[in-house]
Formats: sequence, structure tokens, C-alpha cells
Amino acid sequence: MAVAPDMRATFWYGCNMARHGEIIRLSTRILEAVGVDAAPAGGPGYCCGSPQEKSARIAAGMAERTVQKFNEKGRDQLITWCPSCHMNMDDFMAPVTEAAFETQHITQLLQVRRDRLRPFLTHEVKARVLIHAHHGFNGRVPVNVDVPDLLRMIPGVEIVESDLRVPGHMCSALASVPNGLANAHRATLAAMADSGADTLVTIFHSCHREAVTLERGRAIQVMNWIHLLAAGMGLDHSDEYKDWRNAEDPRAALGKGRVSALGDVAFERLVEPELTKKPVV
Amino acid sequence: MLAEACTACGACYLVCPTVAQVPALAGALPETVMAGVRDLLRGSAGNEAAIAFAAACCRSAICADVCPERLDAAFLMRLASLRVRGALGDPRVATKDDPGWSARVKAFARLTMTEEEQAKWL
Repeated sequence: MAVAPDMRATFWYGCNMARHGEIIRLSTRILEAVGVDAAPAGGPGYCCGSPQEKSARIAAGMAERTVQKFNEKGRDQLITWCPSCHMNMDDFMAPVTEAAFETQHITQLLQVRRDRLRPFLTHEVKARVLIHAHHGFNGRVPVNVDVPDLLRMIPGVEIVESDLRVPGHMCSALASVPNGLANAHRATLAAMADSGADTLVTIFHSCHREAVTLERGRAIQVMNWIHLLAAGMGLDHSDEYKDWRNAEDPRAALGKGRVSALGDVAFERLVEPELTKKPVV
Repeated sequence: MLAEACTACGACYLVCPTVAQVPALAGALPETVMAGVRDLLRGSAGNEAAIAFAAACCRSAICADVCPERLDAAFLMRLASLRVRGALGDPRVATKDDPGWSARVKAFARLTMTEEEQAKWL
């Protein structure tokens, strides 16, 4: 995959994607394939302010610090992943703190460079795919068009027609709506059944980490669009988080070594409650 | 400025997919709700339905396509939502704190990233 890069960028993966290190790794390799040298940056140290938006002062301070850190990297392109981060950069961050970079979403960049990506998609992947599409964000960045367009380049992939449009810009936003996530998952399962799809493909991380539980007891698979592109490139795309989340005993699934490396207390307080959370449907 | 330009016609409210899922909005008149949202944006009290509508905003953004005044209604609702959550003063709705967010992200990062990746990426 030796391609001489013609763009140096920061890949801002957001914060919660730390649960899916392999998506960050694979995104970087896919970007590398289309000529982008992308340095990942994310986590609480690069916060867009969303988690603290109860306080405009705190959120603004975090956002200012993040823009300054990106400026210091000396890379003139910022590639976003998370729709909240992307919109906050557009709406509040760059207009307030001068940004020495241009911002674009990863789907936009890959769509523009799709002809460079196509030669790498040589591995057949048999999948009838339903896209887990939300209403929001698509007006800013046409993800509901670009993601299926990119996936259609993978040999064997069929994208089913569906009018599924889940409210909100991503699933975590549905926390503000009574039974919002449960209704979204029911609608998604109904669309899977109606369309005969066998693979649900999520676009955003907050959707993916909840949707993986839909595999339980059902003959479907749930993948993120980056996993599917990686499969088409013949790259290992194992989704460990999905395995942990759907395991009867997440501690055993992680294994003693990893739990003790993290620490029992950290595992029990910070990781186990999420991995054992009951699915909403 | 958005508040001044909004006529509270309720076109945005009528296309919002979350309205039907919020019991507090049952029977509410679109014009009344949006007049309340406009009040909230001006820093005034608004009304109960407007607070419920702003609090339930999950950023579907369909509203941005239908405003007859060509306002960015999605951004208007985002600002109203931030206000009722207390971004600029006392919150008007109960909001959940998540003090473990940062520690949780870092804990998962330790599970899914190598030490070298953590040093470079976080």
C-alpha cells in the first residue's frame, strides 16, 4: 500500500471512538491508500466541547484549546470523523479561534479520492447492506449518499434500497427523546426485515457501539462502514468491542491479562457497566 | 438575531420527527411552541411546551429545509437547546452529569490502543 502522500492532515477521531482503536487504525490506512498522511488525534485532550455544553464557558475553553493544539501540529487539513465534532468546529470553534487548517469530513475526502481507493478494493465481500442512516448531518455532509457510494465499489456488496432515516444526527443524540434509541432500533430492524438485508452498516461511532447488540439472537451482522471498506481491501477488521459487548461474560472475553493490565477497579467502574448494559430492544 | 427574524410560524415544528415521541408536546400548537422558543432565545422564560421541545431536540435538522424565512432553523433549535440545558444560565430541565466520561474514554483507549498509540493519539 505504498502511495506517496500529497496531503498532510490530522485525523480528528473524536473522543468515544477510543473504544474502537481498530477503526482509527483502519481509517488511517484507508487514508494512506488515497494519498493522505493522517495523524490521529482525539480523546478528552482534543474535546470539541460537546460533553461540557451545559456550561458555555467550560465548553468554549475546551474548544479553544483544541483548535490551538491542531494549529500547533502544522498540518493544514483537519479530517473529521464525529458529526458533533465536525459541526462544533464549523459552528463555534473555527469562528471563535482562528484555525490554521481546513476542515472536511472523512467521507467527503474519500468520495473526492474514490478513484484512488477503487484499485485497493479487490476482495469480494458478500453482503446485502442496509445503511443505518440518520436525518441530521446529511444536510451538512451528504453521508447518506457518499457512504453507500463508496461501499458499492467493494465487489460483492449490494446496498438495499430503504427509506430508513433515524431522527437525530447520531444515536447518542436520541438520549433527549423518550424511548428514542429503542424506537430507532425497532425501525432499523423492521427495515432490515423489509429489505432482506443481512448486514447493518453504521456510519457513526455512537450508533455502532449501540447497534452491535442487535446481532444478539438474530441472523444479521453489524459493521461500521470502515470495517466494510477494510474487508474489501483484505485488511483485518476484527471488532473486539462488539465481541466484548455481546459476550455473556465480558471479563472473560477480555481475558485476565487485559483486565489486570487495566486494573480491576478501573474495569469494574469504567468498562464493565457499559459492556453489560442491557440492550434497549 | 435568529430570534428576531423568526416569525414563529411553526413550519419547523411540524416537520420535526421527535414531536410525536414527546408526551409534553401532545396537543401543543406549533405557533405557541415556537413563540416560546423565540422567547427562550431572547433569554426570557418561554413556555413549558417550548422548553420540552428545545430539550428534546436531537438535531435531525429537517427543520432547516422548511423555514419560509430561510433561517437556519436547526441552528436556532441548537441554541435554544443549549439555553434550556443551562449553557448560559440556570438549566430549565434536569440534565445528567457524566463525571466519568473522560476516565471511561481513557480506560477504553488503554484496552484498544497500544501504549505508543496512546502516547501519540490522545
